[in-house]
Amino acid sequence: MTREQIKAAVWGLLATAILTVLIILGSRNLEHFDAALVGYTFASIFAAFAITYRYAMWLQRPPTALYWRRGWRVFFRRPFLRRNLRVWLGRIWSGFALNLFIWRRGRRRWLAHWLIMWGCVIAAAITFPLVFGWIHFETPPGDFEHYRVFVFGFPTIKFAIDGGLGFVIFHGLVWAALLVIPGVMIAMYRRMRDHGAGAVQQFGEDFLPLILLFAISMTGLMLTASYTWMKGYGYDFLAILHAITVIFALLWLPFGKFFHIFQRPAQLGVAFYKDVGGMSEPARCARCGAEYASKMHVDDLIEVEKALGYRYDVDDGRIDHYQRICPQCRRASLAIAQGKLWELARGQMETTHTAGMDIADLLTGESGG
Amino acid sequence: MSVPGHMEFFVDPSRCIGCQSCVQACSECDTHKGQSMIHLEYVERSVSTQTTPVICMHCDSPTCAEVCPADAIKRTADGVVQSARKPRCIACNNCVLACPFGVPKMMVEFDLMMKCDMCYDRTSVGKKPMCASVCPSQALFFGTREQIEQSRPNAAPLNRFQFGNQEITTKVNMMVPATHAARVEHIDVAAALESGPTERRVALSVMDPGQQGVR
Amino acid sequence: MAQAIDNTALLEKFGPHGAFSTGLRLAANVEPDRVVNTHCCFCGQQCGIQLKVKDNEVIGFEPWFDFPFSRGMLCPKGVKRYLQGSHPDRLLHAYQRDPSAPEGFRELGYERAVEQVAGAISRIQREHGPDAFAILTGASLTTEKAYLMGKFARVCLGTANIDYNGRLCMVSAAAGNKKAFGIDRAANPWDDILHADMIWISGANVAECAPITTDYVWRARDLGAKIIVVDPRITPIARTCDLFLPVKPGRDIALFNGILHLMIERDWLDHDFIQNQTVGFDKVAECVNPWTPARTAEVTGIPERLIHQAAEWWGTAKSSFLMHARGIEHHSHGVQNVLGAINIVLASGRIGREGGGYATITGQGNGQGGREHGQKCDQLPGARDISNPEHRDYIAKVWGIKPEEMPGPGVDAYEIIRKIDSGEIRGLLSICFNPKISLPDNNFVARALDKLDFYVAIDFFLNETARHADIVLPGSLHEEDEGVVTQIEGRVIKINKAVECPGEARQDWRIIQDIAAALDRPHGFTFTEPKEIFDELRTASRGGVADYSGITYEKIDNQYGVFWPCPSEDHPGTPRLFEPGSWNPVAKGAGPFYFPDGKARFNVADYTPPAEDVDSEFPIMLTTGRVVSQFLSGTQTRRIGPLVEQFPEPRIEMHPQLAERIGVVDGDWVTTESRRGDCTLQALVVTTIRPDTVFIPYHWPGRKSANQLTISAQDPISKIPEYKVCAVRLRKAERVPDAK
Repeated sequence: MTREQIKAAVWGLLATAILTVLIILGSRNLEHFDAALVGYTFASIFAAFAITYRYAMWLQRPPTALYWRRGWRVFFRRPFLRRNLRVWLGRIWSGFALNLFIWRRGRRRWLAHWLIMWGCVIAAAITFPLVFGWIHFETPPGDFEHYRVFVFGFPTIKFAIDGGLGFVIFHGLVWAALLVIPGVMIAMYRRMRDHGAGAVQQFGEDFLPLILLFAISMTGLMLTASYTWMKGYGYDFLAILHAITVIFALLWLPFGKFFHIFQRPAQLGVAFYKDVGGMSEPARCARCGAEYASKMHVDDLIEVEKALGYRYDVDDGRIDHYQRICPQCRRASLAIAQGKLWELARGQMETTHTAGMDIADLLTGESGG
Repeated sequence: MSVPGHMEFFVDPSRCIGCQSCVQACSECDTHKGQSMIHLEYVERSVSTQTTPVICMHCDSPTCAEVCPADAIKRTADGVVQSARKPRCIACNNCVLACPFGVPKMMVEFDLMMKCDMCYDRTSVGKKPMCASVCPSQALFFGTREQIEQSRPNAAPLNRFQFGNQEITTKVNMMVPATHAARVEHIDVAAALESGPTERRVALSVMDPGQQGVR
Repeated sequence: MAQAIDNTALLEKFGPHGAFSTGLRLAANVEPDRVVNTHCCFCGQQCGIQLKVKDNEVIGFEPWFDFPFSRGMLCPKGVKRYLQGSHPDRLLHAYQRDPSAPEGFRELGYERAVEQVAGAISRIQREHGPDAFAILTGASLTTEKAYLMGKFARVCLGTANIDYNGRLCMVSAAAGNKKAFGIDRAANPWDDILHADMIWISGANVAECAPITTDYVWRARDLGAKIIVVDPRITPIARTCDLFLPVKPGRDIALFNGILHLMIERDWLDHDFIQNQTVGFDKVAECVNPWTPARTAEVTGIPERLIHQAAEWWGTAKSSFLMHARGIEHHSHGVQNVLGAINIVLASGRIGREGGGYATITGQGNGQGGREHGQKCDQLPGARDISNPEHRDYIAKVWGIKPEEMPGPGVDAYEIIRKIDSGEIRGLLSICFNPKISLPDNNFVARALDKLDFYVAIDFFLNETARHADIVLPGSLHEEDEGVVTQIEGRVIKINKAVECPGEARQDWRIIQDIAAALDRPHGFTFTEPKEIFDELRTASRGGVADYSGITYEKIDNQYGVFWPCPSEDHPGTPRLFEPGSWNPVAKGAGPFYFPDGKARFNVADYTPPAEDVDSEFPIMLTTGRVVSQFLSGTQTRRIGPLVEQFPEPRIEMHPQLAERIGVVDGDWVTTESRRGDCTLQALVVTTIRPDTVFIPYHWPGRKSANQLTISAQDPISKIPEYKVCAVRLRKAERVPDAK
């Protein structure tokens, strides 16, 4: 095992341990823990380990490590902290809550993602606390009309069992499923019809997550249907089927597309890095003089590239590193480098001229042949 | 689906006439419909009509992918470096700044990097990419090695590029003079930084400019 | 009467608006209903293209790899051509001028409109004679339509005054070719370029005006060819040629004569060929005798050593291909320039074989076919001559009229405008022509159009000229009709219909027939499909030089086009002219060229300066041309958003030495004045143009129009206007013009 892997494994074990302790504490020594849900619990604990492990591995990659470090540092920079907090809330609203960046990519895509995301958020917010025994319901003594909600063993609100609020709360997972299913359908439709998506999609990466979400939602709804209208017909079988789908998804969380749930918030950090970059000293292209990024970013990238083993350093005194050239000049230089080979091959290389062709020189004979 | 191994991309910027057919056709591809991924620019218009089309060179070891903090850029087994995976890309701009060829584009409004994927919807089913299909000068050529060797006996493909101390090898080939192909190990891009546009000039001249009246 | 309408409401309704991909065209998940093999609607190359059609809308394209000429290649115009359909500016109804309507035009039922047109034609011809009604047509029409327009003028209206916009395009080359070879067509197919070891390109911005020809030139170079480019600007093709000759605008004939002078002096001649296959060499040799390299250099502005080098390469080449385009043809001595080019080809003896190529690069989509079958003022179908009694008899018989009923030759397009100005012509029908942008000295053109008693325009968009019209009839787009066109090589190809005409728009030939019917002269105008017109055209062309009689739609499909002449159904067509034994109705076996003796003609072509040379008052030469993303007057391309974005505005291209003298830098606004008008544009300061010359592309209307400056001087033979050189003066603009 490499040093990074050991480090990541330690973080993973730590996360697992913390979760386990929280489960024990939150369920008051497993007093409120539902033994029937033990499969879910173990899958969750495994997922916690694997996700943390992968996250830690990811954070140790040079570019990520740098962004992680820099991102937090700029976030907590004293003069900006208050502003950063405000902007951060705004970005959570537009980026996370509303998914505006997807809206701009396409309305249908946005709708699919937004429905799936909020369905999953609601479902996760209900199921994990229930499974871990962090939430349970009790009827207050002598009052069969109401339920009281206990969080981490502490009593909180009370609601009428037959009331509207009760209906909403008890069917929370139904609402989640009703968000997820249309979202999945829209996404599936796109994956099956769009030629562009068709060219680059893979089963494991793109279809499996959709199939899993669909299976979880459908089996969950069937459970509700079973006990609501069919007197529990096939309930046990459905419960096992549902458990299988959920557990599989939990185990899949660290590996496939679902991992973006954990990676993606890094976007918020990147935004702060960019903000600070925009306010700091710009990098000017060593060839054309144009500003093309922040100097901080360029310097950081040079560091990252070195850490990755790249040797884009240039030994010629004018510039120390190819990173000092703007992308546009890189494109031009490529054409010039290739064009020079052709000039050489045709024996027409001119030593004095390094820039284009002046028709006036041709007319006056300043350019020798 | 993957790009068949015998079909390769050959680029020869010295043939480019700057017409922008490639740019217009690029946005017709289904993997990035409505967005043009290819770059086509004047090298220095004030002194030359030289233009250069730049597509993704599809590096064997893509710098863009390695500097990506989000693991969003993947190279498929057929050697194509795919555009950023949308769920992952965090729009950090690392790839845009790191690519030695200056290829990736940051689509600011989408918070997403997009880049040339060799028209994967087309090439992965055996068709030519849009740009190379329409290119009127065939500065962008997609076909077999035999085809290019047969039709361009004076040129040879090279896929090694030098940037300072770093050599980059690519899936896409660039055409260099056949006489040089054996001798030149790579195209030294950083060494061309100080040069201006290249011509194929035959400058034989003795004349006085004569009457050029201006008011 | 008919002042141009130019108000905001009109622009709002009729555009030009730039169309972009939206809806079905942008979706990546649409399966087209069908894919139609056809050709691009723009230039003379007629690249193959496959249009994707869904719900009667062209939603995109696929390259047509199987079409052998273009093999999938397309320029940016071809790539985005599909956006011209389903366009918000599309004319869906007939319109009538109505000053009280906010847009200046109001909708009118199609039948009513046609009746009004017929009524106006009858009235004008009754009051002022048949020739008082003129017709202006275009070389983007299919050959069937071009044929029908000629027939309509001569049979239905009985007017001599029909001419077309090919007059602004290829007529100098056509006239030169007829004088030298007896036939007007590219002598060789483009594949012959690959067999040349010497390629001479004079006055052709190949990269921007015939983009895919670049591939042929580069492929020839790959196989070892050397390339000479003659141009006042280092165009993209000139940048990487082997020898660039920076000629002064309007001096091409001097260069050709100087080259021939050196060929004679150094004996780089094919004596056998000159002796046996040509006549007139001695006179030409005498004429070029004074054209020493020193004199040539002085007149052309090309350094002497470059002239020597060019002559040596050309003179000693084993195989060659010479091509030219508007750069040498758009001159008051355009025919002379062309003859000069042909003289150096004939002297080399490299013609009529694989390694001996010569062609003009045809400009318009059907530039070739459109000039063969009778919409030209002096011509009848089959490239026949309207003044030749035999030709008249034959065509009169095909048309079922008496030869004496057929009018004689009319006047050229610009002369039609002059006759409108003088009141001799009172009525006009135009189709596929936007003279207000494309004719020189276009402020005069606009004033003349204002004087018309009646003007009917047939078009699919309301172009700038049509804003002068009394009635506008909604015609058809390229993809809404079928028919043949003849491309750059002389290959007759088929345009296929992809979609139906929208609204009340209809195919142009139907509109013409409707007018004939409304005039109560339907005889000969009762075709029910283009194929019927084509069959009559085949008969009409039989026995002419441009013989299409053996061409059928099926044959075109089967062999990807048929090169004319094709005199019988079992004849495969003639890709290369002037080969021994090839079909020739004029020489009848006497020789390969289209004269009774079968020999080609050397023609004396001496140098004369441009009609308007520079002087102390107007010291700079202006030359005009195109950019790759726009086409001609821009009626279509200025309505295709991505093409507009590619080159949104014309700029005036000038050398830094000139810029410095007038005190401007790149991007400054510069006013260019000629004796005819002025034009204020931003400067593009580049070292790639001669310091004594400025360049403006001409695709734009109004204050951006280059043709406000150009001169209406014409070649005495071809009547082509001198777009490529006139005298101007420049100054830094006092203020930025209004953004209109």
